[in-house]
Formats: sequence, C-alpha cells, structure tokens
Amino acid sequence: MYSSTTDNAWGYQTDKVKKSSFDHSLMPPCQAVCPLRMEIREYVDLVAQGRIMEALRVIRDGNPFPSICAYVCTHPCEEACRRNQVDKPIAIRALKRFAVEFGGDRMVYAEADTTHSEKVAIVGSGPAGMACAYYLRKLGYPVTVFEAHSEVGGMLRVGIPQYRLPREVLNTEVQRLAQMGVEIRTNTRVVSLDLLFDMGYKAVFITIGAHQSIRMGIEGEDSPGVIDGATFLREVNLGLKPSLGERVAVVGGGNVAIDAARTALRLGVRKVSIFYRRSRAEMPADPSEIEQALEEGINILFLVAPIRVKRRNARLSVTCIKMELGEPDASGRRQPVPIKGSEFNRQVDALLTAIGQAPQMPSDFKVRIGRGSTIQVDPVTLTTNRVGVFAGGDAVTGPATVTQALGAGRLAASRIDDYLRHRYPRVEKETREVLVGDLLPETIEMIRKIGRLEPPILSPEARTGDFKAVELVYDWTTAVNESRRCLRCGMGAEITSQDKCATCLTCLRICPYNVPHLDASGAIQIPSDQCLACGICIAECPAKAIILRKPYDRRQITEELHHILKSAAESKFKPFIVGFCCQYGLFGTGTLSGLWRESVAGIWIVPVLCVARVEADHLLSAFEMGAEGVFIAGCGEQCARENTAYWVNQRVGKVRKALMQIGLQPERVRAFTSGATDVEISKELDTFIEQIGGLYLTSTIMQEVKS
Amino acid sequence: MIVAEQKHLEEIRRMIAPYDKVVILGCGTCMTVCDAGGEREVSFLHSALRLAQAKSGDGTHSFLEYTVKRQCDPEFIDLIADKVSEVDAILSLGCGIGVQALAERFPDMTVLPGVNTSFMGMAKESGVWDERCAACGDCRLEATAGICPITRCTKGILNGPCAGTKNGKCEASKDMDCAWILIYKRLERLQQLEKMRRYYPPRNFRAIPRPKRITSKISSTGEENG
Ligand SMILES: Cc1cc2nc3c(=O)[nH]c(=O)nc-3n(C[C@H](O)[C@H](O)[C@H](O)COP(=O)(O)OP(=O)(O)OC[C@H]3O[C@@H](n4cnc5c(N)ncnc54)[C@H](O)[C@@H]3O)c2cc1C
Ligand code: SF4
Repeated sequence: MYSSTTDNAWGYQTDKVKKSSFDHSLMPPCQAVCPLRMEIREYVDLVAQGRIMEALRVIRDGNPFPSICAYVCTHPCEEACRRNQVDKPIAIRALKRFAVEFGGDRMVYAEADTTHSEKVAIVGSGPAGMACAYYLRKLGYPVTVFEAHSEVGGMLRVGIPQYRLPREVLNTEVQRLAQMGVEIRTNTRVVSLDLLFDMGYKAVFITIGAHQSIRMGIEGEDSPGVIDGATFLREVNLGLKPSLGERVAVVGGGNVAIDAARTALRLGVRKVSIFYRRSRAEMPADPSEIEQALEEGINILFLVAPIRVKRRNARLSVTCIKMELGEPDASGRRQPVPIKGSEFNRQVDALLTAIGQAPQMPSDFKVRIGRGSTIQVDPVTLTTNRVGVFAGGDAVTGPATVTQALGAGRLAASRIDDYLRHRYPRVEKETREVLVGDLLPETIEMIRKIGRLEPPILSPEARTGDFKAVELVYDWTTAVNESRRCLRCGMGAEITSQDKCATCLTCLRICPYNVPHLDASGAIQIPSDQCLACGICIAECPAKAIILRKPYDRRQITEELHHILKSAAESKFKPFIVGFCCQYGLFGTGTLSGLWRESVAGIWIVPVLCVARVEADHLLSAFEMGAEGVFIAGCGEQCARENTAYWVNQRVGKVRKALMQIGLQPERVRAFTSGATDVEISKELDTFIEQIGGLYLTSTIMQEVKS
Repeated sequence: MIVAEQKHLEEIRRMIAPYDKVVILGCGTCMTVCDAGGEREVSFLHSALRLAQAKSGDGTHSFLEYTVKRQCDPEFIDLIADKVSEVDAILSLGCGIGVQALAERFPDMTVLPGVNTSFMGMAKESGVWDERCAACGDCRLEATAGICPITRCTKGILNGPCAGTKNGKCEASKDMDCAWILIYKRLERLQQLEKMRRYYPPRNFRAIPRPKRITSKISSTGEENG
C-alpha cells in the first residue's frame, strides 16, 4: 500500500530486492577486538532505545557469563571504540552491567539435554573451564569439571577481589552451570590425565590457569614477610585474614599488584605503597583502577625497583633503586635502566610481590610445554601433543583476561565437538568485512561532542572499610544517554547501484558530516568508515538510490507504520492521530516520553530511530490510511546532530503543500522538537490534538450536510 | 540540465480523470536531479494522488509507478513497453522531450505531462536552480565573458546595459543582478573590455528554423561539410 520502492525498468529491480534483504554492515572496531566478538553496537543501540530485555538477549547470545564480564572485563572494545577520536569512548562495560541488571539476567534459566554419550573432563574451573562446560552442555555432552580448590571459579574466585566482583554474581553463574547438569568436583586436583581416560572420559580440556608467582630473583626474597601476591589474594578470597602489619609495599604494575594493594588496605593496613619500575604511561593495570587506588590513598612509586630485602627486628628493610627509561624492549615498552647510586631504603612490615604468574603443570600431564611454562597447542584446533587432550586459557596464553579465557573455552567446546564427532574442525569464516580506518578530521569536526557519562562509584571513604562493590550501576536515563553517544560505526548508508544514482549531488551537498564525495571517475562514494547512519540522504535522494546497510534499518519505519495503522484502523477510536517519535530512550530520553498517550486516546506512535529518517512519503501514507493528523517528534538538544530539525521541517513543509493542493488543512501535520521540559511539548501536543479533533468534527458535519 | 517543476496536483487530477489505470513514469536523468520527477517524486506523487482520491471519495484510479533511466531515448522506453500495455494513460514526469518520446513510441496511448518543463540551467545550491541557456543556436558567450545575456538579462538585449541598470541591479527587480554589469565586470577582470565596444546586430529569434535537427553522422557519399 505504501509507496514501496517499486520495481524498476532498468533491470536492477531483482538485484535491489536481493540487496535489501542483505546485511551489508561492517563489523565495528569494538566487536573486532572483542575476544568473544560480541555484538556491541547492536546491544548498545538497543539500550539507547530503552529495549533492555532485547539488549540482554543479544549480550547473552555472545557471552555465557555476561554478568561477570559486566564487572571485570578489561574492555579492549573501549580502547578500540572510534568515539575515542571524537571525545571519549562509549562506556561499554558499564552499559553491559546496566543491561544485565535491568534486563534481569539473574532470572535467566539455563537448560541442557544430554544427547551424546561421550563424557568430557575439564581440568580447572576458571572462566575457560566454565565456558567450555557451558557450551559442551549446550551441545549435549556429559561434562565433569575438576577443581583443585574448594570453590569454583578460578581466578574469578581466588584472584579478583570481591569489591570488583561480588561473589553473588559468580555464584549465580556457577549455579546456572549446575542447573545445566554440569558435574562439578571441587577439592579434586587432577594429577594424571591417563587416569581421566581410564575413568571413561573421551576428551580432556586443560584450563589450569597460571597461578605460580614469578620470583623477583633478589637477595632476601625468601625472608618471612615477603609474600607472593597471588597467594595472598587467594587466602583472602578463601576467607583467611592474613595479618600484614602497619606498612605494606607491593611490587608490580599490573592488575594483580593493584588488587593486592587495595585488598591490603581493606584488611586494615595503614600505609600501602606500590613499587613499579616503569612510569605511569607503561603501567599495564587498568587506568581507572590505578585512579581508584590513588583515590584510596595508595602511594605509587614509579620508576622504582627493589634490589634487596633484609629482615631486621621483625620488619623488612627494602632497598630500592630508582630507574630511568631506556630503549624500547621486545614488548615495545621502554626498558627501565637503574640509575647508579640512587638506592634508598624503605621499612615495611610485609612485601607483596606481583610481577607475574606462570602455569604450574603436574608433570604427569605429559603435554608439551613452551615459553613461560605454558602449554603448546595448535591455535586452530586447540589440541595438545596428546590425542583427545585440548588446552586453553591462561595455561596456554600466560596471564591474560577473562574474556580471552571465555573465548578459548567456547572455541574448545566446538573443537572437542568436532573431535568427538570425527569431523574436520569447522573454521568459522567471518563473512562481514571489518571496518578499518579512522574518522577524518572533517567528519570529527561535524560530530556533536557529548561527554562520556561514567557510572557512579562509591567514595573512597565508603568503600575502603570493607569489600563492597566499588562501581555502581547506571540509572535508566544515564544509561540511555550514554548509549546514544555510539557512532553506529559501519552501519551507514550505501548506494544501491551506481547506475541508478543520477549523480545529482544531493547527498554530497546535504550530509551533515560531509561524508559523500566524488571519486576520480565522477561517481559518488559514501565511505563506510565515515558515514554515521543518520539517514538524511536516504530520505532526500531523488533517485531513491541510497539505503542503509542493515536490512532492519531499511524496513523499520515502513513496517512499524504498517503495523500501527492496521491496529489504528481496527480500533474504534476516531479520529486517530499518528506520531512518528524518536525511539531513542523510548520516545526520546525523558522529554518525549510525555507524548505517550496510550492508543485509547487515539494517538498511535510509530517509533523511529531518529526522525531524520522519516520520509515525506511516510507522512502521506499515514493520512491515506485514515489518520486525521500526523506529527513528528524529535529530541532537539539530545539528538546526535544539529540539523535534524531542519530536514524534518522541510519534509513537513512539502507534505503541507501537498495537503493544501488536495484540499486538506496543512495544520494537520506538525513537527515538534522537545525543548527543555516535557510540559512544553505535552502542552503543544494537547493543543494539536484539540485542533485535529476540531477539524474532524467540522469535516464530519460538512459531510452530513452534503448528504 | 533541463529543469522542470511538478504541476499542481489539481491539474494532474483533472488530466487523469478519464483514465482508470495510470502509470506514473519518472525519469532518472534531469528530472531526478531537479527534484521534479525522479523515483522519489514518482512515489510521493503516487501517495498524494491516492490520498486525494481517498479524501475526495470520488475516482477509482489505480496507479503503477516506474522510473526509467532516460525517457528521451526509445531504447529505455522499450524496457517498460509491456507494463504500458496494461494501462489507459501514462502520466510522465519526464520533461517535454520525454512526453513526446513516449507519445512517439506508443502511438495508441495517451501521454500526460506531469511537470512543466521550464528551462535549461544549473543548481545554485541544493534545491535551487537557475536558468542559464536559451538554446538559441548561435552562442555568443565568447564575447560576453561566459555570461549569457539572453537568459540572464531580463530583456535579453545583446548590447547592454540598458538605462534601467542601477547599482548593479536590474530595474525589473532589485534582487536581480544586471547581466550586463556582470559581463562588464568580468571582461574588465579578464582585461578584455574592448569586447564591450563591439556592436552586435539584433537577432530575430523567430527566424530560427524549427524544428531543428543536428546530426553527427558522416554522409555515406563522403562529400561531407567541407
Ligand atoms: C588478581 C587478579 C585480578 C584479575 N583481574 C582481572 C580483570 O579485572 N579482568 C580480566 O579480564 N582478567 C583479570 N584477571 C585475569 C583473569 O582472572 C584470568 O585471565 C582468567 O581467570 C584465566 O582463566 P582460566 O580459566 O584460564 O584460569 P583460572 O581462572 O586461573 O582457573 C584455573 C583453575 O584451575 C584450577 N587448577 C589448577 N590446576 C589444577 C589441577 N591440576 N586440577 C584441578 N584444578 C586445577 C585452579 O585452581 C583454578 O581454579 C585477573 C587475575 C588476577 C590474578
Ligand atoms: S562508537 Fe559504537 S559502534 Fe563505534 S566502536 Fe564505539 S561502541 Fe562500537
């Protein structure tokens, strides 16, 4: 019924139909760097629309334990996020936390049926082991997880402190595994794989992590009072309260060092310092965690390394030396070089070492070991030198991250499945092109700068007394506003066929970001790495030669309109009014939500992903289907760009002209832009509704008079 | 490029009144570029006509919509020949040339013009077009510094400016530049002011033989042009 893009006489019609159902979007950089390849752009957009449950579904599709990642993920996505080039990256992890909490992830029930008879043993219950167990259960295998410690979770349990990952969150996920029928055997250290095969297991996945602290190799390292950080954290996490004294120093610059220092503080240590041999810029720990440690009063000494420890009068005297940065080493970081004669002493009660860990392999495993005591595997199949034995996680990579471990676990599950089903490994090919290339300065200049909204955190005073979670969750409005900052990389506009393009230059002239340009041959190009998917050119292209790359985006307004009009036509309420409202944050954040009048009042709302995408045709279609009045309501200040209102008014003007020529009152169509308060726009809308009611009454009377 | 404007809806409705089945036919070249008859306008007009029909309660037209790449070439028109055989009239959103090309190609079909073909011109900015050429067949732009007095001078005089010029504007409208002042200034800039001193005899546009035809074919006898 609508002016659907009609088929055409140039022979590209079939081509176009094919194209319109095809996802041409590019993989955004956030997703490309995620070890789990999560659909970040999609769930961020769903949060922006206030569709939290759907956001959670997208998140759960890509991540077996999203609520864990919502707390501790090192978010490489945020480093890769292209909004970095404009102002600050999207707070992706905090948005995920919002989605899992507001979407009710705790309630999600996991089930699995056993469809295969081959039993699989998983050695180690860290994130890699848990993920592998989860996916193998989903595939229908009986799974047993063997864990040396008394509790499940690996470093999630014995490494990461509770103030960063509350144990209820971890427990929920562990319970879910049990719900799915994973057999969990704690306090069971596996010493021989042969034994597992003897017990009838057909495949083994080794994920024993990297728990052996690396030694500093300095004099006095074995003195009482020198404690390795990983052991210290494990003891605290398993409920012990080691007494450390008044003053503690931590050696190292990674997350383990920071966690050990902050944990010591929470155990009541008065003065905690960190010795790090490079400068702050090289520190591998998460910048926000360094910041939080400093806020809590932890003193970080940069360019300092201990060289000797002496125990005197039940205290430690640590001799340190100052460093300077020399040439970059193999890791690309500048190598610290000691400054001669710069030694100084520090008196502490305990020295915690946290300069790295390595896997601790039972010799009877008989698997090939490589650099840093890590297990050697084939990167595609994850197989070790032993038949039926697979390995992944920190045990293979050395200390890495939770998401990397989860990714390894997921991959292992499908490789073990291949192995048990006697298939060649199915190597998933990524069909989507990855978006590469930075935003151009010209594009950046035109993007509205909107600062990143950080999630709230407890004040240092409120958080250092115990192990309460430091980071809190967003409220609804903040989450929606933060997610609206996403640039929607790689889902922009494309020209359906150069043949159809009349090269009229409309897009080039009107793009708010100056993205389209002419190439050397005189053809229009819309670079996919610059387009921000506002959709203005699509509505304005006189040849209808431009479409959005995602099929859903292409159809959205027409489908929603069709759906709404059907319901409106069936409803007994007359007259009815159709409003095209910005869907972001459910009819715009805050302000527009006042437009929600329930269909009882005869107002039907077509949610749109930015009113810039509403075409003049859509407005006419609404009238044709019987609407007495039509309005567009967009978000003004909250909109990602400044000129949306201009284009909306152009289209409204065009429709008004057509209405007049048809003999209908042009007042029947209006554009609203939300101002500062909902009261204003609500009032304006009430006036509009009244007006339409009046027009309807007059026309009905006129009709009756006529007949 | 040829520039046109869509006709008033009322006029279009009056024209199509006798025909039940009408195809709205867009043109993918000039009419697309000047926003008068590309695929988007075809679709918009289609919606507007349906709405008008729904609101007035009279008329039972059914519409089809197509857009061809160029209505002024019969080969493109051929591509929709079978579609046209199903309708009672063609409402062309092509320029006057397109309408005639259709009429020639479909001798038994009514072809209605949906736009008023207005001039040959160029875009001043997005959505604004200005006339530039009158297709007079005897181009004098060399002498007038690339500014056409025939289209840009209200009076079309060849030896301007007239006495009506004032502060660089035309007496017909103070918003309109005097074409001859523009010519003068540009000649001055190009250091060709002597061209202003020449006299151009008036031309009788009525005497131009019509219809004109241009052929780039070399005649088979070989004794061409010379
Ligand atoms: C203090 C600290 C903080 C961290 N913070 C973060 C963070 O914020 N974000 C992040 O992404 N990553 C963080 N990490 C890293 C992250 O925790 C690890 O990369 C991840 O847990 C590795 O998972 P895994 O499954 O490979 O191994 P692990 O989590 O180490 O699990 C291995 C498990 O195997 C068990 N095991 C070992 N040997 C045997 C055996 N022979 N038999 C049975 N069981 C055995 C161990 O007891 C352990 O439970 C942190 C690490 C530490 C130490
Ligand atoms: S702006 Fe959005 S899509 Fe682009 S990288 Fe950041 S989160 Fe991903």
